[in-house]
Amino acid sequence: MSATRHTRLLLFAAILLGAIYLFPLYWMYATALKSGSEIFAYPPTFIPRGLDFGIFAEVWATRDMGRFIWNSLVIATGSMALVALLGTGCAYVLARYRNVWIDIALFLVLMLQVLPASLMITPIFVGFSALGLLDFPRFAVMLAFTAKAMPFFVILVRATFMSIPAELEEAALVDGNSRIGAFALIALPLARNGILVSAILIFMQAFGEFVYSKSMIQDVTLQPASVGLNGFMGPNTVEWNKIMAYATIYVTPILAAFVLLQQRIVSGLTSGALK
Amino acid sequence: MTIQPQIELLSVNKHYGGFHALKDINVTIPKGSFVALVGPSGCGKSTLLRSLAGLESISGGEIRITGKAVNDTPPRHRDVAMVFQSYALYPHMSVRDNMSYSMRLRKASRAEIDAAVADVAAILGLGDYLDRKPNALSGGQRQRVAMGRAIIRNPKVFLFDEPLSNLDAALRVHMRKEIRALHDRIGATSVYVTHDQIEAMTMADHVVVLKSGVVEQQGAPLSLYDTPATKFVAGFIGSPAMNFVGGIVGDTGRAVTLDLPGAPSLPLARTMEPRRQVDVGLRPEHLSIETGGAPGIETTATSVESTGSVTYLYCGGDPEIVVVLSERERISQGDPVNLTIAPDKIHLFDPETGAALR
Repeated sequence: MSATRHTRLLLFAAILLGAIYLFPLYWMYATALKSGSEIFAYPPTFIPRGLDFGIFAEVWATRDMGRFIWNSLVIATGSMALVALLGTGCAYVLARYRNVWIDIALFLVLMLQVLPASLMITPIFVGFSALGLLDFPRFAVMLAFTAKAMPFFVILVRATFMSIPAELEEAALVDGNSRIGAFALIALPLARNGILVSAILIFMQAFGEFVYSKSMIQDVTLQPASVGLNGFMGPNTVEWNKIMAYATIYVTPILAAFVLLQQRIVSGLTSGALK
Repeated sequence: MTIQPQIELLSVNKHYGGFHALKDINVTIPKGSFVALVGPSGCGKSTLLRSLAGLESISGGEIRITGKAVNDTPPRHRDVAMVFQSYALYPHMSVRDNMSYSMRLRKASRAEIDAAVADVAAILGLGDYLDRKPNALSGGQRQRVAMGRAIIRNPKVFLFDEPLSNLDAALRVHMRKEIRALHDRIGATSVYVTHDQIEAMTMADHVVVLKSGVVEQQGAPLSLYDTPATKFVAGFIGSPAMNFVGGIVGDTGRAVTLDLPGAPSLPLARTMEPRRQVDVGLRPEHLSIETGGAPGIETTATSVESTGSVTYLYCGGDPEIVVVLSERERISQGDPVNLTIAPDKIHLFDPETGAALR
């Protein structure tokens, strides 16, 4: 009896915390649908009175959102591809070999994870500028973000590779595979889920990337939606409903994708590649 | 006529950093024979097998397969097949694809593959399971698939790394016979690693006993049982294990006095150096209970276990002596017993080196 009460209490706490956590998201949706005067009404209304869905089409058109979202997609896809391509091999080696150098490499990888983007951007900017990479600003952002996101990907995918018994690859070696063949034909297919899920997480992060894009992309036609949103918010902004409508258009697809894939993402991260 | 050796290990050494895992291993394996590498865990038997497969590189010496040195040959060019302890079946492939993986790698034709898979499946009774994934199979079936994956290769050498240790006892006894029967049918050379001396004794033509990276003794299974070269081999081969008691050779060199209460003396079949300290080895199945008053070990039965076919008698306390009796004796706990042994069944070992004294 006390056990069920205990469970209920915990459930209540979880719901409460979830509600607090998700409230800003709700406020974004609610504000987007409010009229200008209702936004500033006191006391604030929790449920918008007159629903005006036309605002989304209006904001999409006036802010040229198609272009911003496209740039976000380009940067996110490019970063994801780069991270997956470079990180998978790295994670594999870090998972399969054990010696001092590997430990040092792992430590450095974790170190990189600690450094914040706002700290890294200055040296990266100077370096990229010297190399002429800033002439291809979206590619420059992809490169910088790849470096930033790599540790996260490597740590996740390394765990996936570690859950695959080395004996499987040894069996493949004896069966006639080369070392690379055993990796490509045995380890890689078995790690597929873990790699896919980690890549999706990287994509989502890159889709919301702001610091590098803001600093490196001056040309407004190449800026992603995060920078576009920032440009929308001036010091004298009163158009909160439009800003929120922009934000809604920006995050809802990602949110929907996450909700749809949520189960697979969680299971892909926690279960190994086997079974 | 000399039989061409299939595998030769010539003073093979292996170091892991400062750890000397294999020390000067010399083994010659004739074509078609079944060799067991046996020893306690950590003795280097698996390392030796993996070196044969090419999964580990050796630090010194030479490994030859059919006369060719293969030290620097990668596993795929050694023409060996291996059955792993965990079976190492590819979880993302069906049984058919698991077994034919090596053939697909060498780009064998579709017809060739189908024929070979059908053959092997018939030998192993796997015909109904070809389209299943490994996780839909029982332990015994997985074991067969692992065997099938090796057999289909028709390799020069089969390597087995404790293939039965994940099976239950009844299945293990069954698969033991089956593997040996397969070996006899195929006639390929097999090297079999196990920690179970009974597996080694029952399956192999030639047993290599390893301890801490050293070959303690190798030879035919019964020769290891009858004439163990060291105290370790004597204690390792045979179940229950040989009893060891400290002792000293008598003044005439024709008897040995045991370091037991009452200092019992047992006659020897050969003359030893008088007053020499020895370790005396007595196999449980060689001891018998004497009622006639012949010289033996006077002690008491502390515990009696009867399995129906044999009776285990535990006598004395320090050290305990185990006796296996095939006759049903009316002995119960606490009864005095007089244990005797045929003089030629007594094993003597040097207490320092452990070497057998003959």
